[in-house]
Amino acid sequence: MATLSDTPPQDDAPTAVLRAKGVSLGFSGTTILQGVDLDVQPREFVAVVGASGVGKSTLLRALAGLISPRKGKVEIPAGNSPDTRAWSMVFQAPRLFPWRRVRANVELGLEGLSLSKAQRRERALEPLALVGLDEYAERWPHTLSGGQQQRVGIARALAVRPRVLFMDEPFSALDAITRRRLQNELVDLRRRSDAAIVFVTHDIEEAVLLADRVLVLGGGTDDAPAGMRDVIEVALPQEERREQAGFTECVQRIEGLIGTSAADDAP
Amino acid sequence: MSRLSRPRRLSISALGLAGFIALWEASLRAGLLPGNLVPLPSTIPGVFWAEIADGIWFEVVRSSLSHYAVGVAIGSLLGITVGVGAALVPTFNALHAWLARLLRPIPPLAWIPFAIIWFGVNPTAAAFIISIGVFWINYFTSYSAVRAVDPGYDEVAIAFGQQRFVDRLAKVSLPAAAPGILGGLRAGLGQGWMTVVAAELFGIPGIGQRMMEASGLLATDIVVVYMLTIAGLYALFDALFMVVQRRMLRWQP
Repeated sequence: MATLSDTPPQDDAPTAVLRAKGVSLGFSGTTILQGVDLDVQPREFVAVVGASGVGKSTLLRALAGLISPRKGKVEIPAGNSPDTRAWSMVFQAPRLFPWRRVRANVELGLEGLSLSKAQRRERALEPLALVGLDEYAERWPHTLSGGQQQRVGIARALAVRPRVLFMDEPFSALDAITRRRLQNELVDLRRRSDAAIVFVTHDIEEAVLLADRVLVLGGGTDDAPAGMRDVIEVALPQEERREQAGFTECVQRIEGLIGTSAADDAP
Repeated sequence: MSRLSRPRRLSISALGLAGFIALWEASLRAGLLPGNLVPLPSTIPGVFWAEIADGIWFEVVRSSLSHYAVGVAIGSLLGITVGVGAALVPTFNALHAWLARLLRPIPPLAWIPFAIIWFGVNPTAAAFIISIGVFWINYFTSYSAVRAVDPGYDEVAIAFGQQRFVDRLAKVSLPAAAPGILGGLRAGLGQGWMTVVAAELFGIPGIGQRMMEASGLLATDIVVVYMLTIAGLYALFDALFMVVQRRMLRWQP
């Protein structure tokens, strides 16, 4: 099977590709989220859910190192290699650079790695083909639909062959049909990529549909920061998961965990 | 309001211009305007040809263009550099904020005394005066354009390993701000052309000086020839710039 990475597994026993210990986050003197512990194994898919404002996207940025946690430690042990990056990210809005053609957008993360221009080009076309947009390589982003732009965003993140792929509500701005299609594509992509995925969403069904584990955040009040409520293993086969008997049960269980959160009532 | 078709709009515009010239000509011929103060439009093409035949037209245009090119180039380059720098480096911005506020309201022509004292009545002085007006336009538009760039693009650049200042400058700030920066450059091209003539009225060789000479002799037809020259050259530069701008911004919807 074709994979996006030539890197062989480091050893037989899986070692975490991402380790977070006792992570607390906050802004200007206020802690919004505390005590998050998370180990992500190679190729694992972890979804992070929680009510609006609980700090899901902030947590994702802290795990990626884009912001510093107030307390605790985050580690991505692998680090960058000469031609790959340890992690990459798919944002909520595709945020393609409108002044770059599609291929040049996908090449962004490859710039600065030890790759020739030709290699960069090849490495950009590979994930573009994977998301079905290799024919659009020389187009300007504004000529693409929202769903296509988000696919390019995914290709851009895959091009660097990350160990950890962070996804920040990547499908939330899309219409229902496109969202469903991209969810299915992501299930398919997972099989062909070696990346572990940390996926933030407010859509619990989406989390249960895609993830191996769901990290549930909640419990925040005006006086106390939110925290981890539970980590739910989704022990369902990936095929036709929506149709499985345990699907609804799992969704309801997570809904119950989040429902007790005061953050739900937040404006 | 109903919209006009393009051919109809163009023909009405042409009619308006032709009507104005005809009215001008007729008023002079009817003695409604003093012929010694306003030239007859019908004499302008002949006078224009005479200026070209004598080689004067090419000489003064070449001279003005050289002040213009140097002034616009220096003013634009410095304006964009300082404006972008101010937008990206808060300390630099704070350092010169009051100075900029103090100097900004001084019109370029108010620098003429210093220009003459420092450089003499020569092309360098003209280029200096031109560069001042062009500098401020480019400074403010570049500053605003870079400040308006969506910080989300910077986050994307950082997430994809472009942490270095120069990388983000080249890959995010400048291309994202390009529409605004180019708008400033275009406005500067116009502003520079206005200043070039004013700067030369003080005796620096060029179109402005030729106009002053002509007005001293009440040769109003020559003055009009150079007024039209200024308008024509500006239209030409602006059109050329638009071509370049459209090419550079072809990524825009």
